Amino acid sequence: MKNRLRDLRDKHAWSQGDLAEQLDVSRQTVNAIETGKYDPSLPLAFRIAKLFRQPIESIFEPGKD
Amino acid sequence: MPRSAYSTYRRNVALLTAVYIALLLALWPLIKSTSVLALKAVFALLPVVPMIGVLWLIARRVMDSDELQQRVHLIALSAATGIISAITLAAGFLCATHVIDLDGDALIWVMPGLALAYGATRWIIGRRYGGLGCS
Repeated sequence: MKNRLRDLRDKHAWSQGDLAEQLDVSRQTVNAIETGKYDPSLPLAFRIAKLFRQPIESIFEPGKD
Repeated sequence: MPRSAYSTYRRNVALLTAVYIALLLALWPLIKSTSVLALKAVFALLPVVPMIGVLWLIARRVMDSDELQQRVHLIALSAATGIISAITLAAGFLCATHVIDLDGDALIWVMPGLALAYGATRWIIGRRYGGLGCS
Protein backbone atom coordinates (compact mmCIF):
# COMPACT_ATOMS: atom_id res chain seq x y z
CA MET A 1 0.00 0.00 0.00
CA LYS A 2 1.33 3.43 -0.95
CA ASN A 3 0.83 6.47 1.24
CA ARG A 4 1.47 10.21 1.37
CA LEU A 5 2.35 10.29 5.04
CA ARG A 6 5.81 11.70 4.52
CA ASP A 7 4.54 14.51 2.26
CA LEU A 8 1.85 15.43 4.75
CA ARG A 9 4.30 15.35 7.63
CA ASP A 10 6.74 17.54 5.70
CA LYS A 11 3.97 20.06 4.96
CA HIS A 12 3.36 20.41 8.68
CA ALA A 13 7.12 20.53 9.33
CA TRP A 14 6.81 17.72 11.83
CA SER A 15 9.55 15.26 12.62
CA GLN A 16 8.75 11.55 12.71
CA GLY A 17 8.92 11.84 16.49
CA ASP A 18 6.38 14.69 16.51
CA LEU A 19 3.97 12.68 14.39
CA ALA A 20 4.54 9.54 16.42
CA GLU A 21 3.69 11.41 19.61
CA GLN A 22 0.44 12.73 18.16
CA LEU A 23 -0.56 9.29 16.91
CA ASP A 24 0.53 7.58 20.13
CA VAL A 25 2.86 5.19 18.32
CA SER A 26 6.63 4.82 18.20
CA ARG A 27 8.82 6.80 15.81
CA GLN A 28 9.91 3.49 14.31
CA THR A 29 6.30 2.69 13.44
CA VAL A 30 5.89 6.04 11.66
CA ASN A 31 9.10 5.31 9.77
CA ALA A 32 7.91 1.81 8.81
CA ILE A 33 4.61 3.22 7.50
CA GLU A 34 6.32 6.00 5.55
CA THR A 35 8.76 3.62 3.91
CA GLY A 36 5.98 1.18 3.02
CA LYS A 37 7.35 -1.58 5.22
CA TYR A 38 4.21 -1.69 7.33
CA ASP A 39 0.56 -1.08 6.52
CA PRO A 40 -1.23 0.46 9.51
CA SER A 41 -4.38 -1.03 10.99
CA LEU A 42 -7.69 0.58 10.10
CA PRO A 43 -7.98 2.39 13.48
CA LEU A 44 -4.48 3.85 13.06
CA ALA A 45 -5.21 4.81 9.45
CA PHE A 46 -8.33 6.62 10.68
CA ARG A 47 -6.28 8.41 13.35
CA ILE A 48 -3.81 9.53 10.67
CA ALA A 49 -6.63 10.73 8.41
CA LYS A 50 -8.28 12.60 11.29
CA LEU A 51 -5.01 14.24 12.28
CA PHE A 52 -4.38 15.54 8.77
CA ARG A 53 -8.11 16.23 8.19
CA GLN A 54 -8.16 14.26 4.98
CA PRO A 55 -10.09 11.19 3.86
CA ILE A 56 -8.23 7.91 4.24
CA GLU A 57 -8.26 7.25 0.50
CA SER A 58 -6.42 10.49 -0.18
CA ILE A 59 -3.59 9.39 2.11
CA PHE A 60 -3.47 5.65 1.40
CA GLU A 61 -3.90 3.95 -1.91
CA PRO A 62 -3.74 0.26 -2.68
CA GLY A 63 -0.53 -1.09 -4.17
CA LYS A 64 -0.08 -4.01 -6.53
CA ASP A 65 -0.77 -6.60 -3.83
CA MET B 1 6.91 2.53 24.56
CA PRO B 2 8.41 5.98 25.33
CA ARG B 3 12.16 6.13 25.88
CA SER B 4 11.77 7.04 29.58
CA ALA B 5 9.46 4.07 30.13
CA TYR B 6 11.93 1.85 28.32
CA SER B 7 14.73 3.02 30.63
CA THR B 8 12.58 2.19 33.65
CA TYR B 9 11.78 -1.21 32.14
CA ARG B 10 15.47 -1.99 31.58
CA ARG B 11 16.37 -0.84 35.08
CA ASN B 12 13.67 -3.03 36.63
CA VAL B 13 14.68 -6.06 34.54
CA ALA B 14 18.33 -5.55 35.55
CA LEU B 15 17.31 -5.21 39.20
CA LEU B 16 15.22 -8.40 39.18
CA THR B 17 17.96 -10.28 37.32
CA ALA B 18 20.47 -9.16 39.97
CA VAL B 19 18.11 -10.41 42.69
CA TYR B 20 17.78 -13.71 40.81
CA ILE B 21 21.57 -14.16 40.61
CA ALA B 22 22.02 -13.15 44.25
CA LEU B 23 19.37 -15.69 45.33
CA LEU B 24 21.01 -18.41 43.26
CA LEU B 25 24.44 -17.70 44.73
CA ALA B 26 23.10 -17.46 48.29
CA LEU B 27 20.67 -20.37 48.25
CA TRP B 28 22.45 -23.00 46.20
CA PRO B 29 25.00 -23.88 48.91
CA LEU B 30 22.16 -24.00 51.45
CA ILE B 31 20.18 -26.45 49.31
CA LYS B 32 23.10 -28.86 49.34
CA SER B 33 23.60 -28.57 53.06
CA THR B 34 19.98 -28.87 54.19
CA SER B 35 18.28 -32.23 54.54
CA VAL B 36 14.69 -30.97 55.05
CA LEU B 37 12.83 -31.58 51.79
CA ALA B 38 10.33 -28.72 52.23
CA LEU B 39 13.17 -26.28 52.90
CA LYS B 40 15.00 -27.56 49.84
CA ALA B 41 11.88 -26.91 47.77
CA VAL B 42 11.53 -23.36 49.15
CA PHE B 43 15.20 -22.58 48.45
CA ALA B 44 14.95 -24.08 44.98
CA LEU B 45 11.82 -22.13 44.08
CA LEU B 46 12.75 -18.74 45.53
CA PRO B 47 14.89 -17.72 42.49
CA VAL B 48 11.83 -18.32 40.29
CA VAL B 49 10.01 -15.38 41.96
CA PRO B 50 12.16 -12.59 40.43
CA MET B 51 11.99 -14.36 37.06
CA ILE B 52 8.18 -14.29 37.24
CA GLY B 53 8.60 -10.57 37.88
CA VAL B 54 10.70 -10.29 34.72
CA LEU B 55 8.03 -12.14 32.74
CA TRP B 56 5.42 -9.75 34.13
CA LEU B 57 7.53 -6.75 33.04
CA ILE B 58 7.93 -8.23 29.54
CA ALA B 59 4.17 -8.81 29.29
CA ARG B 60 3.49 -5.22 30.35
CA ARG B 61 6.03 -3.97 27.84
CA VAL B 62 4.27 -5.85 25.06
CA MET B 63 0.87 -4.54 26.20
CA ASP B 64 2.19 -0.96 26.23
CA SER B 65 3.67 -1.30 22.74
CA ASP B 66 2.00 0.02 19.62
CA GLU B 67 0.50 -2.22 16.95
CA LEU B 68 3.67 -2.74 14.89
CA GLN B 69 5.75 -3.49 17.96
CA GLN B 70 3.13 -5.95 19.19
CA ARG B 71 3.20 -7.63 15.81
CA VAL B 72 7.00 -7.96 15.99
CA HIS B 73 6.80 -9.28 19.58
CA LEU B 74 4.18 -11.84 18.55
CA ILE B 75 6.05 -13.11 15.49
CA ALA B 76 9.37 -13.20 17.39
CA LEU B 77 7.83 -15.03 20.34
CA SER B 78 6.11 -17.51 18.04
CA ALA B 79 9.33 -18.20 16.15
CA ALA B 80 11.35 -18.51 19.38
CA THR B 81 8.76 -20.84 20.91
CA GLY B 82 8.84 -22.97 17.78
CA ILE B 83 12.64 -23.19 17.82
CA ILE B 84 12.85 -24.09 21.52
CA SER B 85 9.92 -26.53 21.24
CA ALA B 86 11.64 -28.34 18.37
CA ILE B 87 14.95 -28.48 20.26
CA THR B 88 13.40 -29.73 23.51
CA LEU B 89 11.24 -32.28 21.67
CA ALA B 90 14.28 -33.60 19.80
CA ALA B 91 16.32 -33.66 23.01
CA GLY B 92 13.48 -35.45 24.79
CA PHE B 93 13.32 -38.19 22.18
CA LEU B 94 17.11 -38.55 22.08
CA CYS B 95 17.11 -38.81 25.85
CA ALA B 96 14.24 -41.32 25.90
CA THR B 97 16.12 -43.52 23.44
CA HIS B 98 19.33 -43.16 25.51
CA VAL B 99 21.22 -41.60 22.60
CA ILE B 100 22.10 -38.71 24.90
CA ASP B 101 22.03 -38.55 28.66
CA LEU B 102 20.23 -35.55 30.17
CA ASP B 103 18.86 -35.16 33.67
CA GLY B 104 16.18 -32.80 34.99
CA ASP B 105 18.69 -29.98 35.46
CA ALA B 106 18.52 -29.40 31.71
CA LEU B 107 15.04 -27.88 32.19
CA ILE B 108 16.71 -24.86 33.82
CA TRP B 109 18.06 -23.91 30.39
CA VAL B 110 14.67 -23.80 28.65
CA MET B 111 13.80 -20.28 29.82
CA PRO B 112 17.22 -18.71 29.10
CA GLY B 113 17.17 -20.49 25.74
CA LEU B 114 13.75 -19.07 24.98
CA ALA B 115 14.89 -15.59 26.01
CA LEU B 116 17.96 -15.82 23.76
CA ALA B 117 15.94 -17.15 20.82
CA TYR B 118 13.32 -14.43 21.38
CA GLY B 119 15.98 -11.71 21.44
CA ALA B 120 17.51 -13.01 18.21
CA THR B 121 14.21 -13.46 16.36
CA ARG B 122 12.96 -10.08 17.52
CA TRP B 123 16.11 -8.43 16.17
CA ILE B 124 15.79 -10.22 12.82
CA ILE B 125 12.08 -9.44 12.44
CA GLY B 126 12.54 -5.86 13.66
CA ARG B 127 15.06 -5.32 10.86
CA ARG B 128 12.37 -6.21 8.32
CA TYR B 129 10.47 -3.14 9.48
CA GLY B 130 13.50 -0.87 9.43
CA GLY B 131 14.78 -1.76 12.90
CA LEU B 132 12.60 -1.15 15.90
CA GLY B 133 15.42 -0.01 18.16
CA CYS B 134 14.87 0.25 21.86
CA SER B 135 11.25 1.24 21.82
